Amino acid sequence: MPEAYLTQSPRTAWRVYDGEAAVLCPDDSTLNSLNAVGTLIWESADGKTAVSAIVARICEEFDVDPERAERDTMAFIAKLRERGLLTVSETLQAT
Amino acid sequence: MAELSIGIAGLRTAVITRDPDVATVVRDRYEGFLSTGPADWRIEISPPSGGVPFSKDVVVRRDGGPARFSVRRHDFAGTVDVSERTADLTLTSPDDVSINSFLRILYSLALVETRGLVVHAASLVRDGAAYLFCGPSGSGKTTVARLSTDATLLSDELSIVRIAEGYGEDRAAPLIGIYFLHHGGRHAVEALGPKEALARLLPNVLFFAREADVTAAVFRIAADLVEAVPCFDLSFRPDPGFWEVIRNA
Repeated sequence: MPEAYLTQSPRTAWRVYDGEAAVLCPDDSTLNSLNAVGTLIWESADGKTAVSAIVARICEEFDVDPERAERDTMAFIAKLRERGLLTVSETLQAT
Repeated sequence: MAELSIGIAGLRTAVITRDPDVATVVRDRYEGFLSTGPADWRIEISPPSGGVPFSKDVVVRRDGGPARFSVRRHDFAGTVDVSERTADLTLTSPDDVSINSFLRILYSLALVETRGLVVHAASLVRDGAAYLFCGPSGSGKTTVARLSTDATLLSDELSIVRIAEGYGEDRAAPLIGIYFLHHGGRHAVEALGPKEALARLLPNVLFFAREADVTAAVFRIAADLVEAVPCFDLSFRPDPGFWEVIRNA
C-alpha cells in the first residue's frame, strides 16, 4: 500500500483541551469533538507525517495492536475527509 | 436628512436617513441608546422601496471584497463594509423589527474585529459583576431576569460580550460566569470544562455569515471566552434561590 500523508484543511478552526480537540467544520459550522486518539491523528495531520507513523504512535501510546490501530485510523481519516476537515495525499506536502 | 447616534456595547453607530418615518422608528426603538460623540460606524438607511424581491431567508455573504458583505432578508437588503465601517440598508417599510434585525447582523460582523460576540443570553449585573445566562428560547432567560429583582438587567434575550485587555476606566462590568440554563426540579450548578462549554456556547452565538475565515474567527473568540471565564451548567426552578447556589459554587 502506498504511503499517505494527512493535511488539515486550512479552513478549520480548532483548540485542544485536556488532550482532546474541538474542531470546527467550516462548511456547516458543526463542532467535532475528538477523543485522545483522534486528537493525536488530527495533530499529526501536518502533511509531513506518514499515516504509518501515526499508526505506530497510536500503538505505542495507547497500547493497541497494529491491525486494529490501522483499521480504526483509516476509518477515522475517512470520516474527517468526508467532513472536509482534512485531505489525504500520497506525496509529502511542502511546508 | 436626519442623523442619529446609537451607542451599544461600546460601538457608536451613526444612522443617517432621509426618511422621517425611519428616523422616528430609530429614535423610538433606540431611545435608551441614543448617544453623542464621534461614530465608529455609519449606516445609511434608504427610504422604503416596496416590492423589491429580497431574500426569503437571511443571507449574509461576502460580496465585492474580503470585508464587504451583502445582507438580505424578506424585508430588507443592504451591505456591510467591515473595513470602512459603513453600511447601507434599504427597507420594504419603516419597521423597527427590520432595522433591529439588520443591526444584529451588522453587530455580529462588526464585533469580530473587536473580539466580541452576540449571544443568545440574558445578562445581569449584580454587586458589580456581570453574569451571562445562556440558552435557546424556552431555556429560562426571561425567567432568570424576572427573578433577579436586585440585579441590573442588561438584556433578557441577546447580549454582547467583548473580550477586553486590562481594565480601563470606562470598562463595563467584568463577566465572572457563564451559565448554560435549563429548567429543572432543583437548583444545581455544575462546572464545565472549556471543551464542553465551547460546544454549549457556539450554538448560542448569533452569526449569519458562512465564510470559513469569519466563522473561524468567531470560533476563536468563543474559545478565548470560555477559557477566560468560568462556565457552568445551571439547572433551576422558578424562584430566586438559584443565586444562592451560584454564590456557593
